[in-house]
Amino acid sequence: MPAVARARLSLLESLRCSIFATSYNPTSLRTGAKYLRARLRGPSMLNYYPKIVKISHFNKLFPGLDLEDTDEIQRRNDLAALRARGKGAPKKAKTKEQSRRLAKKR
Amino acid sequence: MPKIRVLRDMKARAGVAENEILRRAYLFVARNQSLPAQVRYQAQLQLNTFGRYTRPTTVKNRCTESGRGRGIISEFGLCRFQFRLKALNNELPGVRKASW
Repeated sequence: MPAVARARLSLLESLRCSIFATSYNPTSLRTGAKYLRARLRGPSMLNYYPKIVKISHFNKLFPGLDLEDTDEIQRRNDLAALRARGKGAPKKAKTKEQSRRLAKKR
Repeated sequence: MPKIRVLRDMKARAGVAENEILRRAYLFVARNQSLPAQVRYQAQLQLNTFGRYTRPTTVKNRCTESGRGRGIISEFGLCRFQFRLKALNNELPGVRKASW
């Protein structure tokens, strides 16, 4: 038998919580407060990779600029070369019947 | 141009940053035992509707130089080989090859 009654002890605990500005939670219920308290991680996640500078960004920023985008020209030339050899990507399927993935399963 | 896996990771990072506050709010409701079970269940269902690239666990730190996913030295954000190359080139301040 403790020297001090349990009710008195819980009263003391609640008073202590009010003084030190902590939450009084005698039954240890999970309040989910940790999800609100934790810092947001998104902003620092976005900063991980160094920013890519592309000519197309400037062309978009200043509509009248029209700098020559060598990367884009190269990409188009490569694609044209592939298509000329019949090695380009197939056209997107418009209907379900055209879908090769479905045709294979049957 | 970064490799596809790096691009995918960038997409995941953008998605996490965009949806973080809403997800946290739902998490708070779903994990709060003082709320009615019905409400918590609804919040959990809402959490399940978020896409793959909105969860912070889908984000992986990849090598900022080569895009490699394994053997990353997190202090520099580089994989072990890129770290070695840069260190030997004196491109990492304060990093020297050990010799004794």
